[in-house]
Amino acid sequence: MKPDLSVNIAGVHFNNPIMTASGTCGYGEELADVFDLNKLGAIVTKSITVKPREGHPPPRTAETDSGMLNAIGLANVGVDKFIEEKLTFLEKFDTRVIVNVAGAKLSEYIEICARLNDIPRCDMVELNFSCPNVDSGMELASDAKLAENAVREVKRVFSKPVIAKLSPNVTRIADIAKGCEGGGADALSVINTLVGMAVDIDSWKPRLTNNSGGLSGPAIKPVAIACVHKVYRAVSIPIIGIGGISNWKDVIEFILVGASAVQIGTGLFVEPDLPVKVLKDIQKYLSQRKLSSINDLKGQVRLH
Amino acid sequence: MSKIVVEKSEIIKIKKLGRDYSVISIAPFSKLKTILPGQFVHVRIPDSNIYFRRAFSIYDVNPKNQSFDLIFKVFGRGTRLLAAMREGETIDILGPLGNSFRLPNHTSTIILAGGGIGMPPVYFLARRLIDKGFEKKRILFFYGGNSKDDLVDTARIRKLGIRIIPSTVDGSVGFKGLITSAIEKELPKIAGQKVIYACGPEGMLKAIDALAIKENIPGQVSLEAPMPCGIGVCLGCIRPKREGGYTRVCREGPVYDIGEVIL
Repeated sequence: MKPDLSVNIAGVHFNNPIMTASGTCGYGEELADVFDLNKLGAIVTKSITVKPREGHPPPRTAETDSGMLNAIGLANVGVDKFIEEKLTFLEKFDTRVIVNVAGAKLSEYIEICARLNDIPRCDMVELNFSCPNVDSGMELASDAKLAENAVREVKRVFSKPVIAKLSPNVTRIADIAKGCEGGGADALSVINTLVGMAVDIDSWKPRLTNNSGGLSGPAIKPVAIACVHKVYRAVSIPIIGIGGISNWKDVIEFILVGASAVQIGTGLFVEPDLPVKVLKDIQKYLSQRKLSSINDLKGQVRLH
Repeated sequence: MSKIVVEKSEIIKIKKLGRDYSVISIAPFSKLKTILPGQFVHVRIPDSNIYFRRAFSIYDVNPKNQSFDLIFKVFGRGTRLLAAMREGETIDILGPLGNSFRLPNHTSTIILAGGGIGMPPVYFLARRLIDKGFEKKRILFFYGGNSKDDLVDTARIRKLGIRIIPSTVDGSVGFKGLITSAIEKELPKIAGQKVIYACGPEGMLKAIDALAIKENIPGQVSLEAPMPCGIGVCLGCIRPKREGGYTRVCREGPVYDIGEVIL
């Protein structure tokens, strides 16, 4: 028998644990040219804000060793157009849709989530508390009380599961995780990008117009693994692991330290069909180990 | 069926073109038949910690042996590693990507302008135009570079049987000066409707864009930009549009109408 790859997060069934990370897959349209989106466990959309945003001027991305810096600046179509055009595109796929929500203040998160509550195609929201590229993002991400309150307020207007996406750019990520759990978060996405900066030594200018940005890619994977594990030991809600996944082994690693599912982000830029590729290999790994379900691996890391 | 594929193909031929350039033939590629002039592929750099793919315009398509060709100039570590690859080795290709040149009407004189490493897509367009029955005498191919070393694989271009007007900044071959000056000099001799297609360095495209606007010549330019993803999801390769907002060079481009993008 084929091992079961399906997972359950906050009462929602996912065909498999592979999701695309917010900000790396648009609203799904482009990836649909490369592979069948039905094969994804979920698609996590680009961050949606109340009003459309053009984002920062270029250059917005810079290649670094085993990774990249980005400061896109939450470029997105805004919640109205998103609901009218982008979510309708996703209606034809049998995959879960998680809408990533960002705002300059709490009222904006509430406004967007209230609108999404009535939209059936939105299965969950993921609150982007931690975009390092906008002025306002970091407060919610780095203060456990503020994060707790924000989740609680969103839960009042949004009846489906709420995921909080955590930033690694904090002193104690477990405290923020506990705050979110206390506020009623149904799951946590761990982690967002690490703040980084790169400077051109000819022009003496930072390589991003925004000066600094978020570091992603394989360079951050060990940081992400450590964060997932810390959070796993601190809370009892499910964790979605994110950070530098570039092959199936990385997925297994995240699940071993406690992730229930994972998101593939920057890896899509190099291998846009990576989600499909890793699924086959994960299945093989589980079969070889005679495991009947991906869930059997969760949190099974054998610490020294 | 996917429009865009990620495939491991083989280098069936790799040949140095002078000191800095190489031409490489790749096969098989399942989307060969859908490739249009102006489109590009995203190539993984082999055996390295270079994370992103590198984008190369399609130079030529050879249905006979199911291959397509790319030209690249050794510029940094990535292209140096590519140049060191050998025949028979596997190469990871993502594509075909981007939009393509829009063919003109049959009555126009077609001015093609390839500057340095911008030549390949312009050559591919020339070939397609001839295949589509455009009169050879109505196609002019301007090929410019800094010096004669930058004008590569000219034998192949000559085989097209169209007029080639080479130019070099140092005057080592052809017209001495910038490709734009070569075009400006030739323009008054061309009667009737004209259309221009160009690919090359930023400065050249900026000059051609301005010239075409001034002379009221329609046409298109193919842009280059650092591209992390190549498929339109990372939003890294954006350029500002004249009408406002940004455009993704990898998705809405790389080919734009004259005047469409702020260069």
